[in-house]
Amino acid sequence: MLRPIGRGSSGEVWLARNALGTYRAVKIVREKAFKNRRPFEREFNGILKFEPVSRSHDGLVDILQVGRNEAAGYFYCVMELADDVVTSSNIHPQTYSPRTLGQDKDRLKRLPVAECVRLGAAIASALGFLHKNGLIHRDIKPSNIIFVNGIPKLADIGLVTDASEGRSFVGTEGFIPPEGSGTIRADIYALGKVLYEISTGKDRNEYPALPELLDNHAETRDLILLNKIILKACRVKTWEGYQTAEEMMLALLAFQFDKEALRKREASQFLSKVFAIVGAIVALGIFIGIIWRLIQLMKASD
Amino acid sequence: MSQTMTSQTEDFIPTRYSLLSRLQNRDDKDSWKDFFDTYWRLIYSIALRSGLTEDEAQDVVQETIICVAKDIDKFKRDRMFGSFKGWLRNLTRWRITDQLRKRKPRAAGKNVSPAEENTRLPETSEIPDPADDGLEKIWDEEWQTNLMDAALERVKRRVKEEHYQMFDLNVIRQWPANKVAKTLEVSVAQVYLAKYRILMLIKREVRLLEKQWDGSK
Repeated sequence: MLRPIGRGSSGEVWLARNALGTYRAVKIVREKAFKNRRPFEREFNGILKFEPVSRSHDGLVDILQVGRNEAAGYFYCVMELADDVVTSSNIHPQTYSPRTLGQDKDRLKRLPVAECVRLGAAIASALGFLHKNGLIHRDIKPSNIIFVNGIPKLADIGLVTDASEGRSFVGTEGFIPPEGSGTIRADIYALGKVLYEISTGKDRNEYPALPELLDNHAETRDLILLNKIILKACRVKTWEGYQTAEEMMLALLAFQFDKEALRKREASQFLSKVFAIVGAIVALGIFIGIIWRLIQLMKASD
Repeated sequence: MSQTMTSQTEDFIPTRYSLLSRLQNRDDKDSWKDFFDTYWRLIYSIALRSGLTEDEAQDVVQETIICVAKDIDKFKRDRMFGSFKGWLRNLTRWRITDQLRKRKPRAAGKNVSPAEENTRLPETSEIPDPADDGLEKIWDEEWQTNLMDAALERVKRRVKEEHYQMFDLNVIRQWPANKVAKTLEVSVAQVYLAKYRILMLIKREVRLLEKQWDGSK
């Protein structure tokens, strides 16, 4: 163990080096940090469930080892280490600072749309995998997305829980949908808010306001197209949004590989809605006309 | 909403939590959260414009809302208190005066004992005069602005996000409708429709807010 590099509400994260000289992150969670034993056990069980799943997807931070000291009242997990914010995978223990999406956002304010889409697709894919394994993340936000060898990964798995545990209000304000966290849809909502922050440079509480500078350049057109994906991820009317993380990932992949087709599809979706409404009005008019005609005929026959 | 307003809102989150915990014995906690979200900017802004510091203004927000929570039933029963707008203005003024009284002497070089510091009354010029027309005017302006902001915030949560974006560009940022349509890749008719619907909803929400506390009298 070399030095502490992070501290959260339930414990601390240390920079460590194994016998082979590889740098690792070690998270230590102490029971005394909780009011009672239940949340401590819940966090430990979450890690146990996440540990085998974590190494099966590139978008999840690898948990390499989990240990527990019952007498001292703590457990720990050894994880792969995030890149250094300055020197990337070249780690200098004295100056090391983990690179997170939160830091990228603070430094750059706004990320290029193409980068947001690439990152969003990677995290949506990881989320889909997590959900398929019956787990929910519950705390997706820029500072919980780290980079390992340049690949974005979901980290801080402290709040990972079983999907069957149901709704709760844990998480970070602004990334939690009105109906609460702890559901697949809530994780998708949070990812939508992450993409909103990094693509517009605005705070999540300003959602859905667009950035001040919107010109005629291709970047703005791309932002407007990405905006449609973000709005669908963060819908208040849940049935109108993405139902699975894979759906969102497919939309982001469609953006990456064929923007024009996606643009046409979005436009045709609107046109088909307009045609449906016009069709319904015409059908209603015809129906009323027929009824009115029948009434006239009945009156005439009397 | 500006960036400043957002950071202010975030700064106020601890205040809201601590206030709600002070009101935790009330069974209508949600409506007090709503009350806080609707009126804190108004009270805070008046407190700052009365010369208080940010910390003092936050205290004024807390204490005023506690007073409202404590006396709202009395206010609803008794017509003597007048309108809710006037009653809230008076409560805010009195809490501002309380904060000014708490201040320690600022004049350098004054040799004041701790006992004197605690009992010192503010200078006459430090206390806002309840009959001051200037403050009355500021209150009226802030009241209207606050009602509009609160109504917009409520409507924003209810309308489709695309419609809010069209409204934001067209009405708040005053872009021409055709520029909004071109940027957002929608039709001009959609922009006008979104603007009309949201303006209607805001008007209705302002009317509701105006009646919310006076209506029961």
